[in-house]
Amino acid sequence: MRPIFRVAKATYYEGWRKRFLNGILVFAILIIGSSWVFTYLQPGAELKMLIDVGLGSIRFFGMLIAVFLGTRLIPDEIEKRTIYTLLSKPVTRTQFLLGKYLGGLATVISNVALMGATFYVVFALKAPQFATMTEETGSQYSMEFMYGNIAKAIVLTFFELAIVMGIAVVASVVFSWILAAIFTFFVYFVGQMSEFFGALADPDQTASPVARIVLGTIYRILPHFEVFDVREAILTDVPVVWFPYVTMTVGMAVVYVSIVLALGYLFFSQREV
Amino acid sequence: MRSQRVWEVADIALAIRTENLTKIYDVGWGRQNMGIHNLSLEVEEGQVFGLAGPNGSGKTTTLKLLLGLIFPTSGTAEVLGESISSTSYKARVGYLPEGPYFYEHLNAPELLRMYGTLFGLGGPPLEKRIQELLELVDMWDRREYRVANYSRGMRQRVGVAQALINDPDLLFFDEPTSGLDPIGAKDIREVILELRDRGKTVFLCSHLLKEMEPICDNIVILARGELITRGSIEELLKSDEAQYRVEVREIDDATLATLTERAQKLMWLDDTCRALFDDRAQAFEAATMLEDAGARLLTVGPDRRTLEEVFIEAVGEESTDATDLQSG
Repeated sequence: MRPIFRVAKATYYEGWRKRFLNGILVFAILIIGSSWVFTYLQPGAELKMLIDVGLGSIRFFGMLIAVFLGTRLIPDEIEKRTIYTLLSKPVTRTQFLLGKYLGGLATVISNVALMGATFYVVFALKAPQFATMTEETGSQYSMEFMYGNIAKAIVLTFFELAIVMGIAVVASVVFSWILAAIFTFFVYFVGQMSEFFGALADPDQTASPVARIVLGTIYRILPHFEVFDVREAILTDVPVVWFPYVTMTVGMAVVYVSIVLALGYLFFSQREV
Repeated sequence: MRSQRVWEVADIALAIRTENLTKIYDVGWGRQNMGIHNLSLEVEEGQVFGLAGPNGSGKTTTLKLLLGLIFPTSGTAEVLGESISSTSYKARVGYLPEGPYFYEHLNAPELLRMYGTLFGLGGPPLEKRIQELLELVDMWDRREYRVANYSRGMRQRVGVAQALINDPDLLFFDEPTSGLDPIGAKDIREVILELRDRGKTVFLCSHLLKEMEPICDNIVILARGELITRGSIEELLKSDEAQYRVEVREIDDATLATLTERAQKLMWLDDTCRALFDDRAQAFEAATMLEDAGARLLTVGPDRRTLEEVFIEAVGEESTDATDLQSG
């Protein structure tokens, strides 16, 4: 465990030294911090705007950070030759891969936490206004309930990014980092529509059995990223409950990441550095 | 006793053994590059073993194979009695890569602490070891500097320290004096000799032959991935002609004429005149004559080749590029 922790710790601090990631984080915090401005664009739907812009920004910028950090973690080690002094020590390739992944994930958690805290501050400042508005419109929004739901949304975003990060790290072992980034973006965006592929695989929707097999396979292989997005549920007062929804979704993420990393090990154990 | 003697070949323990080790790089589009070809080595424990060769000769490829960073195309290799596919022998190995790079956010003690913990070291013994090593490589006073601010020489010094953190039985040094000033290079050579005196094995890769000559016990010369010559330094440097050599500068024409008459062979190396004699007495007589004539006497003694001469003779005028193979 110690080699994994050591590699993860070094990766975490190196992650914070990447200026372009810091740039993405600063920009994200500026957008989230000024999300209250967007509420004026759609009178009557201020809460929706705030939740959409705030939580949407955390997901989007978190995804950018996870992709760009994840696809650079191992290629940077190889390019800068820091990997030589690590793999020549009693560190197995599995420990190295896990250390890099967990260190990168810790950086992403920190980034998501900072973005989430910024959003909480903005939300807390606007909450009294929403409370008044809900009285006027007769809406049933409970502000106390809302804080909990936002926390659950951020937790789910974090686990969604854990999958994105895993795909990015493993793809970078197989492809060049640019190709790995393109691949990860592709999986992320197609994964947002996995339910759509599932629906298309239905015999009522698609006549061709071959097409149904292809669509069904895509549905089963791709991560179902849309289940991590609970903004609509928050805004329509559908309860986002810890059990079973959040725990089941988190469990799915853990299983998915484990499979992706196991695949990553198969590729990395054959990789020459 | 940490050292584990596994092979006994004529009562000699081996730290490294390779048998027909071959590495062919696939460079795409059906093309392949020869890294090394059928390399068979035996490195005895407790010696400084040199691997010399021009750029692209396969030195670094050999090191990477022995450290499990790349995988052989064919052949076998064992380090400290274990197959290179294992990881456990690495607990007894230290490695200094060429032009080492480290995590830039760390300073020297943090870096060594990180590497030390990978070997299961910790607490006061590790802190003591870190101080000893940083003093050894003359980095203790500059220990608070971040790696990002290091010069090449400082990286090299810390690289040596990290290679020694686990007090290894076997050290792989790839161009260890690269980027160091003459004093730093001398310090590293002294460290290598001290390690040998303590019974450690040092596997040294370099193209700086003048630096290898005084410290290596045995040497292998590679060119284009092939083993060209091998032997102990004594064997390699011994002149076939078994003659005595007098080297002189600033010699006048009359003295040169006398020297030409007496010497068996005379040659010029830039502004240095080298005269070869069949026996010791003749050589010393000529030396006395040269000194009396006011010439600047440089050396008198057995004719011993330099490693550079051996190297040039072995490698010849062949291209130093790695062999390009066209796959079937």
